[in-house]
Amino acid sequence: MTAEVRALWITWRAAWRHALADRRALWSQLVMMTTNDLVWIAFWLLVFSRVDEIRGWKTADVLILLAIAITSSGFVLGALHNVRRLGDMAADGELDEALTVPVRTLPYLLVRRVEVLHIGEPLFGLVMLIVFADLTPARLAVFAYGVAMAIVIQVGFFVLVGSLSFFVGRNEGGNLGLQAMLLFSSYPVDAFGGVAKILLYVVVPSAFVTSVPARLVGSFELGPALALAAVAAVFAGLGVLTFDRGLRRYTSGSTWT
Amino acid sequence: MITQIVTTAMAGTRRAARQPGALVAVAGFYLVVTLALSAMWRAVTESRGGEIAGYDATSITWYIIVSELAFSVVPQRLIEYTGDDVVNRRIVPELIRPARPVVIRLAHEVGMVLPRLAACAVVGVVFGFAVVGPPPSWSGLTLAIPALLLGAAGSIAAQHAFAAASFWFHETRSAWFLYQKLVFILGGLLIPIDVLPGPLRSVAAALPFAAFAYAPSRLAAGRIDPGWFVVQLGWLVALTIAAVVAFDRGTARLVREGS
Amino acid sequence: MEGTSPVIVADGLQRAFTVGRGQRKETIEAVRHLDLEVRAGERLAFIGPNGAGKSTSIKMLTGILHPTGGHALVLGLVPWHERRTLSRRIGTLFGQRSLLWSELAAVETYRMLGAIYGLGHAHVTRRLDELGELLDAASLFHQPVRTLSLGQRMRCELAACLLHEPSLVFLDEPTIGLDLLAKQRFRELLVTLNTELGTTVFLTSHDVADIEYVADRAVIVNDGRVIRDASVAALRAELLTNKRVRVGLAGVDPAVVAAALTGPGRATTPTSTGIDLAVDTDVCTIETALTAVFAAAPGAVVDVAIDDAPLEDVIASIYRSPT
Repeated sequence: MTAEVRALWITWRAAWRHALADRRALWSQLVMMTTNDLVWIAFWLLVFSRVDEIRGWKTADVLILLAIAITSSGFVLGALHNVRRLGDMAADGELDEALTVPVRTLPYLLVRRVEVLHIGEPLFGLVMLIVFADLTPARLAVFAYGVAMAIVIQVGFFVLVGSLSFFVGRNEGGNLGLQAMLLFSSYPVDAFGGVAKILLYVVVPSAFVTSVPARLVGSFELGPALALAAVAAVFAGLGVLTFDRGLRRYTSGSTWT
Repeated sequence: MITQIVTTAMAGTRRAARQPGALVAVAGFYLVVTLALSAMWRAVTESRGGEIAGYDATSITWYIIVSELAFSVVPQRLIEYTGDDVVNRRIVPELIRPARPVVIRLAHEVGMVLPRLAACAVVGVVFGFAVVGPPPSWSGLTLAIPALLLGAAGSIAAQHAFAAASFWFHETRSAWFLYQKLVFILGGLLIPIDVLPGPLRSVAAALPFAAFAYAPSRLAAGRIDPGWFVVQLGWLVALTIAAVVAFDRGTARLVREGS
Repeated sequence: MEGTSPVIVADGLQRAFTVGRGQRKETIEAVRHLDLEVRAGERLAFIGPNGAGKSTSIKMLTGILHPTGGHALVLGLVPWHERRTLSRRIGTLFGQRSLLWSELAAVETYRMLGAIYGLGHAHVTRRLDELGELLDAASLFHQPVRTLSLGQRMRCELAACLLHEPSLVFLDEPTIGLDLLAKQRFRELLVTLNTELGTTVFLTSHDVADIEYVADRAVIVNDGRVIRDASVAALRAELLTNKRVRVGLAGVDPAVVAAALTGPGRATTPTSTGIDLAVDTDVCTIETALTAVFAAAPGAVVDVAIDDAPLEDVIASIYRSPT
């Protein structure tokens, strides 16, 4: 087990070095992503210039939610970039290389590629927290916990929807799931009503990725915190299970058209 | 010239119509985004006692249905892709054709919009009826269709005009990104322009982006003002000319300096 | 090699794929029935045209693909159930896919692979010294991979595949895209690897020359089945004796020259630019054939090219000949 962890660590380190080997585009990409994040902040500030709160969510709450969204998705898409490509890789037969090494396929794939575009985002999210939240060590700890759970849930969910392409041969579902998660997780779940709200807890679990952790940062409660860990375990388990099942149907790119 | 444009546009329409998988994906994504954003704005109007900048829950929902439609039916990464074609010289074979490459490309993209518009419009209208009932004004919703087409054509022309920068600069990704963010906020996509604070509202109204999404969306929300058609048409003509001139200059430079 | 134990046993291995969707859905049998036994120390060329099922077979034997029927044991393991254990003992190289990180020097990938295979730092260093010498590639290991030529890169890929001292290596079309010199050099390396270290080599190719220059045994597959399995010596006697000599002519009528060239062991066809000779080297040597050409068209020969018979001809002659 420790040998496997060491192997994954060294693979991840090589992935970082590979991503950083070509630094020409690094700065323009960081500026791009920062602009992107600033536009979202501007959007919420504009909205809150007209309203005091949205169903219990005030400016600071939503900005903490956004900080969790940016930090966690930045880490997932940056440091574990293949999670985003998993469905396409499975459909296009790009898993061969990962299947020739004596390491568990899924973790190996996840650490195998780092994408520079997103690597500034966790830092940006942290700066947001410092600027917009009344920061205490306890709050920082809860934020870290929430982000960690958000990362696990997103990885589990993206692996789950991406692995569907083993069964259907295409990755449209995976891409849609990914986009839906990234979109919904940047809104407070209470902005949605009725069925939509339930779906965001159960089907595309974006509520657990940002709304639940953001509420915990606002005021910590043990029950929801434990529930969050349980949900993370469920999605991680579902992801691994679907991937392992799907791998048996892997066609190595032969003949899906 | 007219024949070439019409033929190319029709080829684009047929091409998009023959990819049902892609149409379903576009419509699915459209539904998800519309669901999210309209729910958010209904929550906002509710917290203000049912009204914001003259929009109630029904009209803001129809506004979002059409603004997301304007966004979803036009490929948003044309700047990037067209720029890549210029940088990688994939555009070179098109230079020897008897028509301007940019005109052909514009016609093709506009043609491809139609099937996407049809698919997403059905989804949007069904969604609107299911969530908030009929639109504030039937004639407004009907007029939104030509306005959507004018807006889509304008957006495609604008993206090509931006992409022409690739003839001079080799990196256009950041340009695309900045452009997209401007469209988001100042084009009335994420937020109706009427809701913006005063000075920002004037800036947004003066920029071309409002002609793409805001103009058709306000029609669907029941705000009928024929003046916006003139604005849309004006921007479409101006941006098409800009794209053609920029490509002409760029290709001339390409031919002069080689690759 | 009689008496050595089999390292690969395949028994009725099958793999079908579903192609298309909806009403146009159909099943394609990439591998219909593969029976195969490979003994330690063999150099086996697994030859067939594109779509014959070569890659699918190699991917089942390395555990990448699950079969839809049949059994196989590689080094005593069921590949698709014990893939990770097996991967510690075999090497794999896919000609069309790179294992190396393009932006980094190959040595960085080797260090990563060393960690993955649980080899110590000193072990990897020692091994790289050996491989650098064996593959004449030591200087290449420290250059960014994207700056290497394809031939150089393939030698670096081979080093990656051999890093953990596998006793059996699978190479899927390793020479594809290489120029003639690089191809020949790569073939020599594979032979050295086998003769000096005793590594069993399992190579797929659609290049007839790989049979002659690398293998001691050839398995020819077509349409998902083995159609011939024989030693290269036997195959050479039967099938590889045909050469194709293409002669470019100027100032003479190719038909006239062709008619004058007819003789035992050579069949002549006039073309628009000259003549094509199919030469059976058992009956007529290349030298005899060329002498006849120069005699028949003095001063008119502008070009001569000598090739192996294409794989399609070899396969066609297998179908014709009783086995």
